[in-house]
Amino acid sequence: MAEQLTTDALKPMSDIQIAQTRTFIDGLEQGSTPYWDAVEIGDELARELTLTPELVVLYADGVEDFNPWYEGWTMNGWRAEGSSPFGSAIVPPLLVSHFVLAVQFDHTKPFSIGSIHTFHESEIIAPIPVGTTVEIRTRAIDKYEKRGRRYVRHEVEVTNVADQTLYFRELRDIMSL
Amino acid sequence: METSRSYPPGTRPDDRVTADTPVGYELQSLKKKAAVQLMGSRLWGRFNPNHWDPVYAAKTGLEAPIQTGEMSSAYLAEMCVNHFGEHFFTGARISCKYVAATIANEVISTHGIITAKQENADGVRFTVNLWAQNEAGEKKTVGALDVTVPREQGAE
Repeated sequence: MAEQLTTDALKPMSDIQIAQTRTFIDGLEQGSTPYWDAVEIGDELARELTLTPELVVLYADGVEDFNPWYEGWTMNGWRAEGSSPFGSAIVPPLLVSHFVLAVQFDHTKPFSIGSIHTFHESEIIAPIPVGTTVEIRTRAIDKYEKRGRRYVRHEVEVTNVADQTLYFRELRDIMSL
Repeated sequence: METSRSYPPGTRPDDRVTADTPVGYELQSLKKKAAVQLMGSRLWGRFNPNHWDPVYAAKTGLEAPIQTGEMSSAYLAEMCVNHFGEHFFTGARISCKYVAATIANEVISTHGIITAKQENADGVRFTVNLWAQNEAGEKKTVGALDVTVPREQGAE
């Protein structure tokens, strides 16, 4: 008989932690629709994001990248200018790529859980200083099927809200349920 | 140890790609464990239980929770910054295709080999094959990098 999968299979959890986790997942599933159905070619979405020192540290810690160039916040000193080859602290090179999903998935609707990011081609045009407010703009440019799977393709631009400096461009694919 | 502001502290002079670095040069690997606690953190995969919940992942046909692909991309980018330093932030192109899922608890290593170099007006444009694989050598992410290193870097 196949082994029964459990919520705590990969990390220790008590009964209350398991119950809270199941409730959270049930909430995510409420109203969620496949990404394929949520997007039309030509859809354009944009959001502004301030790349605070704390946000940058959260991102970098998740991938265990401890390059001090990204530190506009430290435990002892809290917020500081930081230091990088470009002057003050800068944002890790692909950080904004990670945040694209919070734009291309319309945040005013339930998240299309179950989708999988499969590809990106990114152009890192200029370093982004920590503290910058950027606009992430996405445009759905294609929907296609390949080997029985459904994909949505977007193009992305990231610019400085204050002076329209273009920092980053990307092409990316999401595989939908 | 000789230091350079253009590269992360702790990188050694031999790690730095200069205009004179030959085709065939191998980037130094990084190793990272796909820890489910990081995969399911709020900033990374919490929004999608495929990235941290075994029960939900099984429901969508996965053998176990899978890392967001962007985590592999970040690992590869970290390796590239170690070797190309500040030049990675000015006009680099990097592609990543997630050809297989990175499963919770796998240990991932990053790899890169310079496959071509070409003189241009700004210096030398390098092409690098990139990939990330698990301990069994199964490739999870494949990609490429194009990055320019100024000619004067070769004179350091």
